[in-house]
Amino acid sequence: MQYSYITPRKKSLLTQEVQLVLSFFTITLFMLFLTYFFLLYKNYSFNKERQTLVTQQITLENSLTKIESSITFIEEQKSLSETIFTKNIVLKDSITNLFDLVPTRITLSEAKLLENGLILYGITPNKDVYNFMLQAPLRSIFHKTYSSFYPAKNGWLHFVSTNYIDKEELLDEN
Amino acid sequence: MFNIFEALYRKILITIVPKSKSSDVYIEICSRTAVLKQFKESFETTTLNKKMIDYINSYIKESPYFYITLLDVSQTQGAVPTCDKVRLSYYNDMSTSEYKCFNKKWTFYTSKTDLYKIEKEYEEIGIDFVFSPFSVLTNFFKDKIDTNMALYVLIQGESLSLAVFENSELLFAEHLPLSLLNDIYNNEELSHSEEILDLESDEGIDLEDIDMSEELDELNDLEDLDDFADIEDLDSLEDIDDFAEDQDIEEVFYEAEDEIAENESDDNFNDDYQRYSLIQTSLGKYYNNKKYNSKFIENIYIADSVGISQELKRYLEEEMFLNVYIRTIDLSAEVTEITKMELNICNTAT
Repeated sequence: MQYSYITPRKKSLLTQEVQLVLSFFTITLFMLFLTYFFLLYKNYSFNKERQTLVTQQITLENSLTKIESSITFIEEQKSLSETIFTKNIVLKDSITNLFDLVPTRITLSEAKLLENGLILYGITPNKDVYNFMLQAPLRSIFHKTYSSFYPAKNGWLHFVSTNYIDKEELLDEN
Repeated sequence: MFNIFEALYRKILITIVPKSKSSDVYIEICSRTAVLKQFKESFETTTLNKKMIDYINSYIKESPYFYITLLDVSQTQGAVPTCDKVRLSYYNDMSTSEYKCFNKKWTFYTSKTDLYKIEKEYEEIGIDFVFSPFSVLTNFFKDKIDTNMALYVLIQGESLSLAVFENSELLFAEHLPLSLLNDIYNNEELSHSEEILDLESDEGIDLEDIDMSEELDELNDLEDLDDFADIEDLDSLEDIDDFAEDQDIEEVFYEAEDEIAENESDDNFNDDYQRYSLIQTSLGKYYNNKKYNSKFIENIYIADSVGISQELKRYLEEEMFLNVYIRTIDLSAEVTEITKMELNICNTAT
């Protein structure tokens, strides 16, 4: 200072009003940035979670497919078992019926159950007993019945009865 | 970056000039290069009052770059014709003074106590600059001081600052409060009471004669009385003509413009007489005191801030044989000019 006894006070742009405005803007900007970074973090977090979930979903879908295929397999097995069980019941019934069909005077020595037929081997006292007591019920069951006889040593007759179910006729009946 | 902002803001220059019973507050609003607005207001206080604070604050709000300047009107101030710290004490005890060297030529000073008092008094608004009236005087008569040998006087309401410059070299300076004269009178009354009584019983001519006789007594003691013999020579017509030729014509024209205003202030005769007495006493000190390099003074330049009467001029011319040039000064505006020079802003008067 060339002329003054004292040096002037330092002048600053930061008057009280400016300080207030600056602090207001600083706080606002700080809060905005804080929110921005929070959202950025949240976005990142959500994306990461989403990726995890997508991976999990894919894994689950894969396992679901496996489970579905195994369910299908098990259902098939079940239906097969049921079919077999039913068949067995049918077979059992058929055998029971078959044995019910055979009169006491005729003795069966062998019976062959075919898919669409039945072959019976046995001994009958005579042809009439066979024809009336066995062939008649067999005819009512099967579509085609063939019988052949040959004499046994004791005077009775060995017989072979071959019976078939005609599938086409069965379909027509249904 | 702050400099850019500083350039964008306006500068508010506030100058406070305390007077005897009031204070002038002068405000200039400046851009970087020009003065935009000026305001002036007077307040009925010698320090600060609420009205003044409110007035100043209303302008301060406009810009953070405001500067408050105060003209130092304290009594214990002055100037000495040296910058040498060793020689300073030869003229004045500077231990309790704050001083500044002006252009490495001379020093102006004021009391540290007064500065502290000023800072305390104006604490509420704060002060940035305190200028000496000698700085104002030097700046105001810059055009004359550099080339002339003369007595320069700054007349303020309650005081006057006078300085003798010879080609910008200070020879003598003194700051004189008007109250000082009363003290001198009182002392004289005590020591020369009889003499005064005699004088009063004469023609009723007052203290002028006492001063003059006192002055002449002092002058008689001087060895360089020869210088004053020249004054007597001036009585001859030829010398008077020469004397007239030495007159500063430019200043005479300048003065003529202000004459009307001066005529209006004849009521202040008493104050002006006191001022005359102080100038006379001070010049006596200048001539008598061997501390100072006394040279004969022909011209006196007066910077008038109060509106002095023509009587003062007449007294100085007739009684002291001086060429008197009076310039009216707007003190607060001049102080503001120094603030601008200090800050190097606006268009400083050159």
